[in-house]
Amino acid sequence: MRSVAWLILVFVALAVFGPVIAPYNPTQIDIPNRLRAPNAEQLLGTDALGRDILSRLLHGARWSLGLAFVISVAGLVIGTCIGLLAAFGGKVVDWIVMRATDTFLAFPELVAAVVIAGVLGAGTSSLIFALTVTSWMRYARVARGIGLSLNARGYVVQARLVGLSPFAIARWHYLPSLMPSLTVVWTGMFARAILGISALGFLGFGVQPPMPEWGTMLLDARIHMRSTPLQMIWPGMAVVICVLTINLTGDALRDALAKQEVKA
Amino acid sequence: MLEVSQVSVRRGSTVTLHDISISLEPGQTLAVVGESGAGKSTLINAILGLVPCSAGQVTWDSLPVRQCWPALVMQEPRSAFNPRLSLRRSVMEPVTVRGTVVDAGRLDRLCAGLEIAQGLLDRRPAEVSIGQAQRVGILRALIAAPPLVLFDEPLSALDAVTQKHTAQLISQLQGEEGFAALIVTHDLGYAAAFADEIAVLRAGRIEELTAAQDFVQAPQTPYGQSLCDAAFALGALERVA
Amino acid sequence: MIQFIAILLQRAVVVLTGAAMATFALLWHAPGDPALAIAMARHNAIVSTDVVDLIRAEAGLDAGFWSAFQAWITPLLVGDFGQSSVTGRDVWPDLVTAVSYTMPLALAALMVGLMVSVPLALVATLHPGGWLDRGAVALASIGVAIPAFWLGLLLILLFAVHLGWLPAMGARTPQHIILPALTLGLGVAASLTRILRSGILEARDQPFLPAFRRRGVAHRNIERDHVTPHAAIPFVTVFGLELAFLLEGLVVVEVIFARPGLAGFLVTAIKTRDFPKVQAVVLVTAVVFVVVNLLIDLIYRNLDPRIGE
Repeated sequence: MRSVAWLILVFVALAVFGPVIAPYNPTQIDIPNRLRAPNAEQLLGTDALGRDILSRLLHGARWSLGLAFVISVAGLVIGTCIGLLAAFGGKVVDWIVMRATDTFLAFPELVAAVVIAGVLGAGTSSLIFALTVTSWMRYARVARGIGLSLNARGYVVQARLVGLSPFAIARWHYLPSLMPSLTVVWTGMFARAILGISALGFLGFGVQPPMPEWGTMLLDARIHMRSTPLQMIWPGMAVVICVLTINLTGDALRDALAKQEVKA
Repeated sequence: MLEVSQVSVRRGSTVTLHDISISLEPGQTLAVVGESGAGKSTLINAILGLVPCSAGQVTWDSLPVRQCWPALVMQEPRSAFNPRLSLRRSVMEPVTVRGTVVDAGRLDRLCAGLEIAQGLLDRRPAEVSIGQAQRVGILRALIAAPPLVLFDEPLSALDAVTQKHTAQLISQLQGEEGFAALIVTHDLGYAAAFADEIAVLRAGRIEELTAAQDFVQAPQTPYGQSLCDAAFALGALERVA
Repeated sequence: MIQFIAILLQRAVVVLTGAAMATFALLWHAPGDPALAIAMARHNAIVSTDVVDLIRAEAGLDAGFWSAFQAWITPLLVGDFGQSSVTGRDVWPDLVTAVSYTMPLALAALMVGLMVSVPLALVATLHPGGWLDRGAVALASIGVAIPAFWLGLLLILLFAVHLGWLPAMGARTPQHIILPALTLGLGVAASLTRILRSGILEARDQPFLPAFRRRGVAHRNIERDHVTPHAAIPFVTVFGLELAFLLEGLVVVEVIFARPGLAGFLVTAIKTRDFPKVQAVVLVTAVVFVVVNLLIDLIYRNLDPRIGE
């Protein structure tokens, strides 16, 4: 859990302070200086409109990481509530909720996200909506599974007997047991959200230009692949490094939890 | 007064409890004995409303039984507590949730009565022995002064010495507090020593229901007789006659 | 078993109905006037309100949600996907053409995935924790983190732009499939390797295997009778996930390599607001997805008798 806390801290710092340490304005167009190779003033060079690539990457962190954080947390909250509803609500509610979950799982996430974002019109809010709607199901399944196993626990029965409200029972007796597993799922979904945002951006359905989002930057860079291939490397590297870090943290967390379970 | 009238419970097509009628006065103890699978735990769940009755009803002073806030002492003392919370929090749950006013000395008095050391309540469930956890479980059950306490195999997770001691503590506190106690157990020796009445449950039906002393001396049914014989053979019962 | 199949089928029907409703609801609530969008796309010019109203009535857009849904779902049930609202042509033949480009790519990618991941996982698990194993895990971890669209661009850069060995854009010759199949297949391989590796390690760790070894059962027989079937279980499960991964990857990969497959079909349909086409792609995807997962559940149950009673 501690490593995840560090991860969040570093990424939040990057998203918050990235724009601060960026040397130039990321949307400042400077045509005479277009497509420059990396040099002393512009460490990563400039893009087709003469904008500083390093500055765009640093500002892009706010879009890519910030939006991914918002999306994955929204999915976490919605999915957990839905999963607990299934675990609390008895057989009929459970059946309905699980079939709804299956229905949303009947589409590959990115395909559904492309359709939703595309149909609702490109833009940040439809991007958030599209990626959240297609990502709550895993949390719901995990929350429901653990929730069902907790229903029969002695302390949950006791809490019901003394008249604790369902909300308080969820807060005190379910959430603490759910958190470790949900955090593992969350790290995976955070990484997927970064990939999803950049994929949608690349397809033109995501964050709109001139905002510097990594996928959108790739889309721009692609046209000038022949003349300035490096321009295409940077945004991709940024995505890979972030996703890799998150995945490795998630793996470590899962191993640590598995060890704890073996001990207990 | 607890009144269970003609309660049946069915799960799917199988009937797990069949036409159960019992009543229990404040201050009295009823022991329900029977072998595994006889429906003892289902009876407790039915009384507490955790399992729906397919027929009959359970009342306390003519009101639905949950309205008198009955308390339950569980078989597995550790799992009755949230492993992440201190025992004190769990113990005080019945009081804080309902806003019951409890006089200041009550917790200390009960702790003294149950021989729970001062610092014990600040530990977590995994940090106390099973015997200690069970006494804290009883403390939690009694803290809000319930009129009815159900005990589901309260001694079976404990070792022999602790069993006897805990049974005595329960009996002592019942004398002071005057709650009605329904004890589900497979331990006939315990039932005979501490209960006023014994009900023999077999395959979801009550085979016989008599005063504890009468039962031990002269069981009315062949099944009751065999239970007594088995208990004598194990040395769990001293022949009183 | 029959009861199990019946439950699965019942679920599949419920899920597909829900999927159809969700799709229709999304398009129904799409911002803007769909009739106007169709008119613009069809005539490529500002049109009079009469024409827009005509299109509205023609597409059944003037009725309420439920009647429009009924009007839409009824022909679908007999396999009639309707006409493109832009070109007026039947959706189905165009869809089939698109699938005929997508299917070979998906299969080729799956082949690449298997051909890379199976040997890699086997080599890695020869000496768990050894340098080969760590190398394989590291490769797979990096592979999972690389977005398909970036890998695709890198491959184009290397093999098409710099070396000039392979064609990148379009689907004219059989060689055109190599780069997109590699792009998708390497991604599949990365996640398959991870799953296979942990599946094999877990299967070797079963508590009853040491007893067999002590009794002198040959290593080869243990591997064949007890390790392989057990390792197959997570492998089958993950195939459902891989299918999702493939379909997701296809969307971007087909766009990058300018292949005339389903993704281009879908993206163009979305951009021109050609909703009959969008619906067709979405529903066909959902049907494929649900049917494959149903088959996986069946195989799964045959592999692991503990499941599903």
